[in-house]
Amino acid sequence: MDAADVKPMSLSGNLLYLVWAYVPESWLFSLGLTYWPQKYWAVALPVYLLVTIGIAYVLLFGINMMSTAPLNSTHTITDNYAKNQQQKKYQEEAIPALRDIPISEVNRTFFLGDGSN
Amino acid sequence: MEEREDCIALQCRQYSASCREFSVRCQPVQLRSLSAATCSVWLAAYWLFVLTQNSMVLSAAIFITLIGLIVYLHFVKIDQESLLVIASLGIQMTSSYASGKENTTFIEMSRVKDVVINEAIYMQKVIYYLCILLRDPLDPQSVSEVVPLFQSSKPRLDCLVEVYRSCQEILEQRKTVSQTL
Repeated sequence: MDAADVKPMSLSGNLLYLVWAYVPESWLFSLGLTYWPQKYWAVALPVYLLVTIGIAYVLLFGINMMSTAPLNSTHTITDNYAKNQQQKKYQEEAIPALRDIPISEVNRTFFLGDGSN
Repeated sequence: MEEREDCIALQCRQYSASCREFSVRCQPVQLRSLSAATCSVWLAAYWLFVLTQNSMVLSAAIFITLIGLIVYLHFVKIDQESLLVIASLGIQMTSSYASGKENTTFIEMSRVKDVVINEAIYMQKVIYYLCILLRDPLDPQSVSEVVPLFQSSKPRLDCLVEVYRSCQEILEQRKTVSQTL
């Protein structure tokens, strides 16, 4: 975060914005630079930006809530990758292969305390 | 069997070896909250009347309170949800509303694959809920639909585990029945 990090493009952009916002129109006209946007926008654009950022927080929150699968959808249980997975053969004395365990099996292990497999 | 500050009581009844019923009863409508809601609506209406000097506001408030109460009791407030599991026949879910209305859904046993406890994200929380997995007629191994149970009372895990264990005992019986046939 030193002054050497500031890029020349962004610095000149900032300077141009400040010059346009603060220097009175008559001075700019006298220099011959007449085709500027209205000075109204020097205040309006930052306000628009801040309001957009505020709304974006709420919007993102809402989009997240909308994308969550409802309680009655099968996406809470399985998906395409789990349905099309390969069944590897069980080998004695080897660590079992990684796979997506069906929910009935998981439930039985957790809640019924079945020691099988 | 268990009480929570905002709900619920579970009752398990065994009618026969292959038939059980689980009822979850929610807290009934409290006089306290009813009076609070009515008073706030009427105070707001009186304040509007003072502002506008229009007496229609008061009659409108009374009307709204009555209609709102009737709609709430008949369409929103669920008193009791029950699950009836019959091993050879099917599973029946009943919701009874505070006004006495009852909604019943029946699922026959050939469509039922399993009854499981699933976890899912619900309103910035992760909850456990009991659900029925329905079989896909084209592919017996895959799940075509998920039917969540006890949606308005939303019991917690300890209550769900009891119901789950009981249900699994009943569902085991349909396997032995189908193997002996």
